[in-house]
Amino acid sequence: MVFKALTEAFLRKPPPSFAENRAFFKGVDQGRPLEEYEFVVYDTELTGLNPKKDEIVSIGAVRIRKLQIMAGETFHVLLKPRRQLPKDSTLIHRITPQQIENAPSLEEVLPRFVEFCGRAFLVGHYVGLDTSFVNRAARRIFGAALHNPCLDTLRLAQAYKEMNWENYHDRFNMNVSYNLTDLGKEYGLPAFARHDAFEDAMQTAYLFLFLVKKMRGQGIVTLKELFNAGQNWRWIF
Amino acid sequence: MSPAANDVHAVAPEAVLSFLTRTLPFNELDPATLTNLARHCIIDFFPKGTLIFRQGLTEVNHFYLIQKGGVKIYLKDEEGSVTLKDFRGEGEYFGALPIIQETRANLNVETVEDTFCFLFAKEAFLALIHSSPKVTHYFLRSMSEKLVKTAYAELRQHRVNPRTESALYLFSAQIGETIRGKSLYTIAAGDTVQAAAQRMAEFNIGSLLVHDGREKIIGIITDKDLRTKIVAAGLSYQSPVAEIMASPVETIPSQAVCFDAMLKMMRLRIHHLAVEQQEKIVGVVTTHDIMLLQGTSPLYLFREIVAQRKIEGLYSLSGKVPQVVRSLIEEGAKANNITRMITILNDQILDRILTLLIAELGPPPLPFCWLLMGSEGRREQTFKTDQDNALIYADPEGEEQAKEAEAYFKTLADKAIEHLVACGYPRCPGEIMASNPKWRQPARLWQRRFDGWLSTPEPRDVLHSTIFFDFRGGYGERGLAQRLRQHLAEQARKKEIFLLHLAKDCLEARPPLSFFRNFIVEKDGEHKNLLDLKTKGLVPFVDFARLMSLKCGVRESNTLGRLQLLAEGDHISRELYSEAVDAYEFLMQLRLIHQMQLLEENRTPDNYINPADLSDLEKQTLKEAFEVVRRMQSLIKQEFRLGEA
Repeated sequence: MVFKALTEAFLRKPPPSFAENRAFFKGVDQGRPLEEYEFVVYDTELTGLNPKKDEIVSIGAVRIRKLQIMAGETFHVLLKPRRQLPKDSTLIHRITPQQIENAPSLEEVLPRFVEFCGRAFLVGHYVGLDTSFVNRAARRIFGAALHNPCLDTLRLAQAYKEMNWENYHDRFNMNVSYNLTDLGKEYGLPAFARHDAFEDAMQTAYLFLFLVKKMRGQGIVTLKELFNAGQNWRWIF
Repeated sequence: MSPAANDVHAVAPEAVLSFLTRTLPFNELDPATLTNLARHCIIDFFPKGTLIFRQGLTEVNHFYLIQKGGVKIYLKDEEGSVTLKDFRGEGEYFGALPIIQETRANLNVETVEDTFCFLFAKEAFLALIHSSPKVTHYFLRSMSEKLVKTAYAELRQHRVNPRTESALYLFSAQIGETIRGKSLYTIAAGDTVQAAAQRMAEFNIGSLLVHDGREKIIGIITDKDLRTKIVAAGLSYQSPVAEIMASPVETIPSQAVCFDAMLKMMRLRIHHLAVEQQEKIVGVVTTHDIMLLQGTSPLYLFREIVAQRKIEGLYSLSGKVPQVVRSLIEEGAKANNITRMITILNDQILDRILTLLIAELGPPPLPFCWLLMGSEGRREQTFKTDQDNALIYADPEGEEQAKEAEAYFKTLADKAIEHLVACGYPRCPGEIMASNPKWRQPARLWQRRFDGWLSTPEPRDVLHSTIFFDFRGGYGERGLAQRLRQHLAEQARKKEIFLLHLAKDCLEARPPLSFFRNFIVEKDGEHKNLLDLKTKGLVPFVDFARLMSLKCGVRESNTLGRLQLLAEGDHISRELYSEAVDAYEFLMQLRLIHQMQLLEENRTPDNYINPADLSDLEKQTLKEAFEVVRRMQSLIKQEFRLGEA
């Protein structure tokens, strides 16, 4: 028991990588070509959308290096939330209470996830949501948040669409969907099962690769340019 | 994702895995190999219009399997004119050939759609090819088909007098002419897919037209439908054909030219078109038919051999082997691949002869195996070489069975040898053939004979017996050959005196290094030397590999295979291994090209080359090859403690 308590106390301290990562990402040169950076595309499944009370039940991630998906460098876990699994969330991600009965807790898994992310840039579809959950947990467990900068494929998709507006009225097209599945269909990407953190991460990785390489053909070569493209998107209304 | 994967961080990528299990030839692999392959997979995306391979420039480090999208493959000559070679789509691949041949990209590959590919590292792909015979077979077959297409383009580009008529043939030949003589194979819509598969297997065809029970053709099913819609989808073999057929069937008028058919098939990404004549379906034209118009294909020959129903039909077919090999050589295929191809073709001919003979004579009284010796046994045949074969059969029980077996196998062997001669494989001058009762024995006596050679070696016997040590099973119950090989591998390594004789024999062949000094003189016209490539060049490698294999218990019979296993077992150094492989392949290549030239001039293939015909680079390489022989010999001296005697 003593040993366990010690381990836990140790875990609560932010691992050295947090401070190192902060320094690293502060000094990182964003002007290099995109293929020189490493990305980790990830997705989470949640018990609900309220960051105050909902929790992560699954994390899936895959690594991108040289703008290629490393199919064998993946991360996939189911987690045991502290509260009981709400029924309505099971309907979405199909993770049942039985499945997570023996699953590890976030405390056990998060260090491994942080390690997996390493010095990669994080990528996700509407990544802000996932990151807010992860960082809330990180603050609780380590007392520090991840410093890995995030790229949002949703914003990239919006930027890509904007780059390809041909007519003035294109921007008033109301039928555009930025849902992950719809984007996949629209761009003809291989389809994955939805609402599984790992499958969604793979789907997002495909989308990311597609967008980045398409945009590269239109002059977006460096990481900085990609960041700017994602932020240039203006709300029309 | 299964709950069991819960605590496993690196999950096998399901998407890759399930794609592979649906794709030939990966679906043949066992789950462990597949999972490992999937884990090492890299997924890449190439927007439409990306040039992935640049002909002659791109170093190919990965094998590419198309997950989604498509590429076009084309050649560009010096003048910039483009010859379209192929379109590849989902589930198809590119990059295998440069990896196998160890060359740069031989063609341009460009995406015609946004394309996702699975990439497998060169080493992983090669390991796969070497480990799984089914995969090897698949790539060897499809490779040869593609090779010929490329060779054709090369010929067209570089020949002074291009065979323009054949290039234009596509534009002039009508579909009707092309399929004349091909029967129309159909099946009723209500029949089961199993019946369809049986029918396709029976006639060795890849598609059947589906009729409605009366006269009307309502659809088509292809072997691909069987794979993807039945086997991969797990449907019952009893499903009616109508359930999986493509309907209505795509047609082309019989008076259309072949080029139209090719375009239509490329556009629709299908391989079969029904041929229509006056509103009636008269046959099927396939991509293969079109390809045949462009050259002689090993695959075609392979299929023709397999489809032969009469032994006499084989007589003319074996004569086509050199024609097929010719285009491979011109393409620059490595000799090792070519000899393996020749071996496969020869094996098929043997297979047909014996299968048809057994059908004629009735089943054998005992299991037997046709043994191939010498170069056939080593899978290193070039053009028609003498027969070296033998026969082993299971030990008979009792006098009566022994007599019966003797009589049966005598008839079988005599007839088979006659047919082989008629096919153009000359008799062995030393009578080492299955028709010779000495070399047609039950397993027990074979074992005893090998033991005899091993235990009481006479120098002369050793010399004569070497070709026997290169045997492999060519037809029938391979287990008999394998057990004999096993016995030999276990025994030979212990027989030091025998190995010593063999080692001494290896040192007999003196590498002709001085030959090159003579050769310098020859420039002044004083000498006219010919070099015997076989005894001076190739035999030392074969002997070395055999000796070391027997000594180290390696069971392989192919020389390159033996060298590889020896290197893997650390019996020879990696350095010597790679040098020996390079040298041996070069010598084989040289011999192959030499023999090809003789055949073209209607002369009998031999092993004598005139060094004056070689380029400086070739001479240099040859000299280095002989250096390697010397190094192998010094290793033998060391291993067997044989001084400079």
